[in-house]
Amino acid sequence: MANSIVAIRAYRDGLHLIIRPHLSIAEVEEAIQQEMSRMNQPLVGASVQIDLKCPLLKAEEMAYLKSKLQETYNLTVRSIEAFDEQAPPPIAAAPTTHALPQRTEMPNNSRDSEPSRIIPYTIRSGQTEDFPQGSLIIYGDVNSGAEVRAGGDIVVLGALRGNAHAGINGRLSAVVIAMDLVPVQLQIGNFISRRPINQKPRGYPEIARIGVEDVIIVEKFVKF
Amino acid sequence: MGKVIVVTSGKGGVGKTTSTANLGTALALLGKTVVVVDADVGLRNLDIVMGLESRIVYTSMDVIEKQCELGKALVKDRRVDGLTLLAASQKNNKDDIQPEQMKAICDKLKASHDFVLIDSPAGIERGFINASAGADEAIIVTTPDVSAIRDADRIIGLLQHAGIEPINLVLNRFSPQLVGNGSMMDQEDVLDILNIDLIGIVPEDTGVITSTNRGIPLVYEDASPGSQAYMRIARRLTGQRIPIPDLEQKGFLSNIVNWFTRNR
Ligand SMILES: Nc1ncnc2c1ncn2[C@@H]1O[C@H](COP(=O)(O)OP(=O)(O)OP(=O)(O)O)[C@@H](O)[C@H]1O
Ligand SMILES: [Mg+2]
Repeated sequence: MANSIVAIRAYRDGLHLIIRPHLSIAEVEEAIQQEMSRMNQPLVGASVQIDLKCPLLKAEEMAYLKSKLQETYNLTVRSIEAFDEQAPPPIAAAPTTHALPQRTEMPNNSRDSEPSRIIPYTIRSGQTEDFPQGSLIIYGDVNSGAEVRAGGDIVVLGALRGNAHAGINGRLSAVVIAMDLVPVQLQIGNFISRRPINQKPRGYPEIARIGVEDVIIVEKFVKF
Repeated sequence: MGKVIVVTSGKGGVGKTTSTANLGTALALLGKTVVVVDADVGLRNLDIVMGLESRIVYTSMDVIEKQCELGKALVKDRRVDGLTLLAASQKNNKDDIQPEQMKAICDKLKASHDFVLIDSPAGIERGFINASAGADEAIIVTTPDVSAIRDADRIIGLLQHAGIEPINLVLNRFSPQLVGNGSMMDQEDVLDILNIDLIGIVPEDTGVITSTNRGIPLVYEDASPGSQAYMRIARRLTGQRIPIPDLEQKGFLSNIVNWFTRNR
């Protein structure tokens, strides 16, 4: 599972390491380690820009981080940019889960404590499954014309070809995972993404979640 | 005791009536007693495709209204033994018949026939509900295009909900050439989505149109590829195990290509 503190993104100008609010530099270090282990190929010898989407780091913290990146991952920091977190986010109506106060609220609203529903069959056109209390796990397909909605995550152990809406109560950390992720329409919280025309199954499982830039991103699913 | 099979699709114009006429005739040619029932009240055309239009005196509506006995309403096909048609009323509409009335007719018919094939109208409304009310099994007809497949999927869901089992798939108007050049879904794609058993693939065959216009089901012509496909499906319906030939499976052209490359 992608972590909420650190993200690595490839942009046109090269790699960015995004750091969001955290409790300690040790937490950032751990998050970087997690993020790096999720990569399919190691980023040996690359240079990164650090985007601080959190309160500024202290000088010694920054120095420590730079040397860690260099030593452990052979990553050179080419620049550091601070983003003003005091300004309201661009989509004010869509609070992100990345901010600290929300993270502390999470325990009574997380995967561990909520129920999930298992659907042991394929959901066909015209059929719907609604489970606002928690996550949905489907042992089958969700076909075009069908709709699944869950308060938590949606996991489809088959092809997702219809509509899926995870986090219907506004949980932005909800994810959608499918063996073939080719939905007509996908929603997480109040974010929506539509299928590009003629999208073909890729032949490997994928996960959709809300990324740093507040858009739904889809990537190869490796592990939670 | 025979069985009642509803031939249905969701989407219109995919070949339900063509399939009902040809499978009914094919089953009779195999020696079975068959009645084909037109459930498309108000828009009937099974009689035309069967070439029995001019011989209809009574319809299922007359039977329901007790204007005539069920046996008297069955139009005998003189070209083959054991085949009759129960026509739909053209003056009425679908709401004039109740599902229980359809079921009662089906129950009576299957007591005295090996196969009762119901030609369902398109859609998921009353006409479809009536057509499937007395069905034990279903044949879904679809063409290999996304909208027909989505509708078929919807229908399969409804049939499963009603406990109708098995549900078999006829893939109609299949064109190996179009699949070969990538412009048509192949059967794997279709089965992957619908996830029911394939009972046969009927190729696109211009013979279907001429046979429809002449009122002589294609299966009377041995040579046509469509005819052969329907004959094979009929055999499978009688329980014979006949593999789906390679021609249907991968496309004729690709087999030739494979053969050449394999023998080089
Ligand atoms: N295999 C085939 N090859 C070529 N033409 C076909 C084939 N199958 C059906 N057709 C043509 O498609 C048209 C529609 O067929 P048909 O009337 O059997 O469909 P239907 O599903 O019963 O339609 P409706 O929903 O209106 O009842 C007809 O003109 C028929 O000749
Ligand atoms: Mg028809």
